[in-house]
Amino acid sequence: MSQPKEIFVRLDRCTGCHTCEVACTVEHSQNKNLYSAISERPVPKKRVYVEWVAPDGRIPVLCRHCEDAPCMHACISGAISRTDEGVVFTNADKCIGCWTCVMVCPYGVIGRHMEEHKAYRCDRCPDRQSPACVDACPTKALVYRTVEDYSSDVRKTASREMLSGEGG
Amino acid sequence: MSAAETIRELDSLGTITVLSEEPDMPYFRPMIPFVISGKKRPDDLAVIGQGPYKGVRVDVRLNSRVENIDTSGQTVTVKDGSEVPYDKLLIATGSRPYIPPEIEGTDADGVFALRTLSDAVAAEKRAGEASHAVMLGGGLLNLKAAFALLERKLDVTLVVYSPEILSQLMEPEDAGLIRDALNNAGLNVMTGCSATRIMSDTGGVKGVVLDNGQELSCQMVCIGKGVRPNVDFLEGSAIKVDQGAVVDRYAAANIDNVFAAGDVAVTFDPITGERIVTGLWTNAVEMGRCAGYNMAGRPTEYTGTFGILNATQVADEPFVSMGIVHTADTDNEVHVVSKPQAYRKLVFSPDGKRLVGAIFIGDISNAGMYRYVIRERMPVDKIKSFIIDHKLHYGHFLG
Repeated sequence: MSQPKEIFVRLDRCTGCHTCEVACTVEHSQNKNLYSAISERPVPKKRVYVEWVAPDGRIPVLCRHCEDAPCMHACISGAISRTDEGVVFTNADKCIGCWTCVMVCPYGVIGRHMEEHKAYRCDRCPDRQSPACVDACPTKALVYRTVEDYSSDVRKTASREMLSGEGG
Repeated sequence: MSAAETIRELDSLGTITVLSEEPDMPYFRPMIPFVISGKKRPDDLAVIGQGPYKGVRVDVRLNSRVENIDTSGQTVTVKDGSEVPYDKLLIATGSRPYIPPEIEGTDADGVFALRTLSDAVAAEKRAGEASHAVMLGGGLLNLKAAFALLERKLDVTLVVYSPEILSQLMEPEDAGLIRDALNNAGLNVMTGCSATRIMSDTGGVKGVVLDNGQELSCQMVCIGKGVRPNVDFLEGSAIKVDQGAVVDRYAAANIDNVFAAGDVAVTFDPITGERIVTGLWTNAVEMGRCAGYNMAGRPTEYTGTFGILNATQVADEPFVSMGIVHTADTDNEVHVVSKPQAYRKLVFSPDGKRLVGAIFIGDISNAGMYRYVIRERMPVDKIKSFIIDHKLHYGHFLG
């Protein structure tokens, strides 16, 4: 089986523009259209959060779909499972809104939909080739790759930097 | 079941047998209030096939209460007399409700101590014939059951011995928002009193007598006075029991090849270092998985859990309570922010260097990160203001 892709964050590239948040919200709206999403009720929810750390750090945070997912095991209703693609998925029909997942998620990335009384989180956009946040990011701070491909990219970049350092 | 699932993850060949005294296949026990409210059918609660539970070649034998364990011969005796041999044994017998012996008449029809799916099915039936239910005990189980009965249009009275509801999870002054939500939902709460006698006739319960002399007429009583580990069957065995089955950090009991997990096991609190027994699904699953790894030959240490840890929503108020939250008469540094819509209490160690407990009511955002800070005993000097302001996010851990 080929390795599933994941969303990686290149912190050095994030400018804190929040475009990913907008794209995520629109993707999770009924019509997937920015203009109608604004007036939609219940209000569509983003699942990626661009946080700020003094003095000038911008950090997009989203569900890591942990290999050992605390939320999945803590869930008291069996609403959280892992798909074949490795996505930790909350089945809204089974979610009872007890917030145990919120209590155990160490990343703080499980949202609470108060109108519907359901928990929600990044679903890696199952209807798209590549998640909306990744496609929207203007600086390519978010990348959608397999672990293997991404670590290979990191190695190549590091090698290039070492070489140019030696040459200089 | 989580231990069985974990073992199967690591070992695709071994034989896994689960012996249960109950007549139902494993189910999500915390969901039983939904059976009482009628929102779920008993079948909806089944564990196998839901969440992470696949149940691949796990032989579940129902109505098979274990009477005796022979640790030298490595066999258990089931109540029908049959013997089941084992290579590794997990004691995961959970707990049973505590029925205060000082209350007379608790064996009447219509008196419930909700624990099993069968209890919930019977309570659901009784609720259909009742107009008033009295709940004895102000803990979470009884609150959930009370709301299930309110949904069934019963009048519900909650009788609490403590000065306030949820006294295990918070102090009286922390519970204001939840108390308001209960009042708005139409629940009658009586604090500072307890039941002495349950009155009944051939039709079952007809009332409760309280220690203040008052009599409440009702057709249904639910007792929610906490739980006790199911260890009776270990009497006479070589397995060490002190309240619950005593295990080390690898979930192993004092006898080779015997492990214990869940409500029946004695675990530890990483903050206080105290030995504790807990009655929470989430803890039981964590402990079960840890035991499963160790039983399958992958040494795995348990990180412990808080004596107090719970999240839920009562009426329209979500809340989380974790770690050390009872601070009266302690030197802990406490920060309370009380607003009309939300309440929070952050408890730090007396020197202010570590977070040791938290209560969030109304807004429980990112509660898991605070749990992480408490459990890992993280120094908080750089993030303390974010913790107090409830603005902590994952970026702070990277900074």
